[in-house]
Amino acid sequence: MLAAAPTAARPAARAPEPGGAALSVRGLTVEAGGRRLVSLPALDLSPGATLAVTGPSGAGKSTLLFALAGLIPASGGRIDWGGEEITALRGAARADWRRRQLGIIFQDHQLFDEMSALDNAALGAAYAPRAERAALRDGAAHWLERLGLGDKLAQRALSLSGGERQRVSIARALAADPPILLADEPTASLDRASADRLIADLAGLAGTRTLVAVTHDAALVARLGRRLEIRDGAPAGGLADA
Amino acid sequence: MRDLWFTLPPAAQDLLAALLLLLPALVIAAALLRGFAPGAMIRDMGRRFLFANVAFVALIACAIAIGAGLLASERGLRAGTARAADPFDLIIAAPGSELTAMLAAVYLQPADMPLLSGETYARIAADPAVALAAPLAFGDSVGAAPVVGTTAGFAAHLSPELAEGRLFAAHDEAVVGALAGFAPGDEIAPAHGVGDAADAHAHAGHEFQVVGRMARTGSPWDRAVLVPVEAIWEVHGLANGHAPEAGDQLGPPFDAAYFPGTPAVLLRGEGLGATYQLLSRYGTEETMAFFPGAVLAQLQARLGDVRAAMSVMAVAAQVLVTLAVLLALAILVRLFARALALLRALGAPGRFVAAVVWSYAVGLVVLGTALGLALGLGSAAALSAVVTARTDILVRASLGWPEVHMAAGFVSLTAVLALLPAWAALRREIVPELRA
Repeated sequence: MLAAAPTAARPAARAPEPGGAALSVRGLTVEAGGRRLVSLPALDLSPGATLAVTGPSGAGKSTLLFALAGLIPASGGRIDWGGEEITALRGAARADWRRRQLGIIFQDHQLFDEMSALDNAALGAAYAPRAERAALRDGAAHWLERLGLGDKLAQRALSLSGGERQRVSIARALAADPPILLADEPTASLDRASADRLIADLAGLAGTRTLVAVTHDAALVARLGRRLEIRDGAPAGGLADA
Repeated sequence: MRDLWFTLPPAAQDLLAALLLLLPALVIAAALLRGFAPGAMIRDMGRRFLFANVAFVALIACAIAIGAGLLASERGLRAGTARAADPFDLIIAAPGSELTAMLAAVYLQPADMPLLSGETYARIAADPAVALAAPLAFGDSVGAAPVVGTTAGFAAHLSPELAEGRLFAAHDEAVVGALAGFAPGDEIAPAHGVGDAADAHAHAGHEFQVVGRMARTGSPWDRAVLVPVEAIWEVHGLANGHAPEAGDQLGPPFDAAYFPGTPAVLLRGEGLGATYQLLSRYGTEETMAFFPGAVLAQLQARLGDVRAAMSVMAVAAQVLVTLAVLLALAILVRLFARALALLRALGAPGRFVAAVVWSYAVGLVVLGTALGLALGLGSAAALSAVVTARTDILVRASLGWPEVHMAAGFVSLTAVLALLPAWAALRREIVPELRA
């Protein structure tokens, strides 16, 4: 359903292409205040795979997701994305890796309310190297149009509905055409119709990006390729097909 | 380098000093913002908590306005008092306090002063270096306006072009200052003395007709009523400076035998060199000669110590305001902690996040400072109007380089301090802020 974002060289060429980055996790532990929050002995995903992380509230799903994003330091073990060990990256290098490789969708959109939908989706252009800015804005505009917000590019984020705001955050995550997409409860704040549309959008990304989504939404789980259930910070069983 | 600096024109020195004061802010801006475009985010931050931002800008504007207003008013007052003394090249009085004599002659402040004799006056007036020698006679008033006896020549010196009418040419004629509240054709009945103690009936029967009005001089003489000095002596029952056979003569030469005495003689020399000669020649046991401008400069130099103390207090207040601004900045930045955490989560470089915080903070400071300078100009103008109304010394407030330098220094200081909340924003953990 959805196509890959454009590049600077070929902004009009938007045919779906296989993509994504392979994920390899080994012996990952995340601790805080002397308490183990996540313990994941092993996890492997091939490029372009989609994974639903499920489990009860407080099980450590979001903590795992943020660890995979390099936002929470691992207490032990290693995480490799596309062969690059992100647990070994520090500070600026890790931020640069996120900027180049990662798109993140948050449960509550996290938009700049007073900025336009396009400026929000193209947020990365503000700090990207000058040569990449035009492509980023093109990509942001492309995804907003593909997600049905083509007539609302200049509208302030504050004036958009919850579903529209979530689609802006998806466009922001995809604008730079990253190989990895992480989503934290992406449908939690949406009504059913908006959630279903979003699920269709995310499912359409299969094969073009590696997608890991933390969710309670059975409909989303059903559309993703694999499922990992987390309980008390650890996998409850192995990696299963959804 | 020092020599080069002093070869520059004052305006260039002031401009360079302002740029040097701004340099820290400019360097930080260049270092932080290079290659980034944070404008949209800063505008978002400005709009999102509009009330807090407006309050912050208003706080800074008030602080700057007070400082700039005081500096501009003080400078305006100094310039105004100096301008008021301009027409008075040299004053000769009986030995005593130069300050008292200056306040009486230039600023028309009531004072008891010993008199110069007719012989002394005659000797001064006959000096070839003298172009104009005007005796003064004080002590009467009309309402709030002092009545000053002098010569038509001195009135013409004070106001070369009259606003209307002509100079007095008879014993019962008067020329009024621009703000005295009278117009040609008005009748004036002088009272003996000034203020509440004035006796309105002491000079009954001695009225003056206003025949001219001087142009504005910017000095207390604008409120004065100038009459022939002979008329003042006459209403006090004294000889009028001329022998009886001189008839109705007005103005010099005066006859020493019929000269009742004058507290001060206002002199104008035949040139700058002649004026210095007169200063030297009449600094004797019998007479005291001084430049009012020099006495005023001494007075202002003494007040300068007080001014320096006030400046220290102003700087201390400015430092306190700066600390308050820093605290307010820290609070404001906390309001945007989640947005900043988002930027970091998305992979924005730390320098960009710092640039957003710093630009937002310094943007508000610059806005408040610019507004404060405008308000300062307004408050200085209001203060000057009050001082002018109370003292009749025309005080003009205008924004000058000292205020610009103060503002530039303030901007740079806060620009440096704004690095602290920017740095603090980078120290916080991302995920807790995102979940907050």
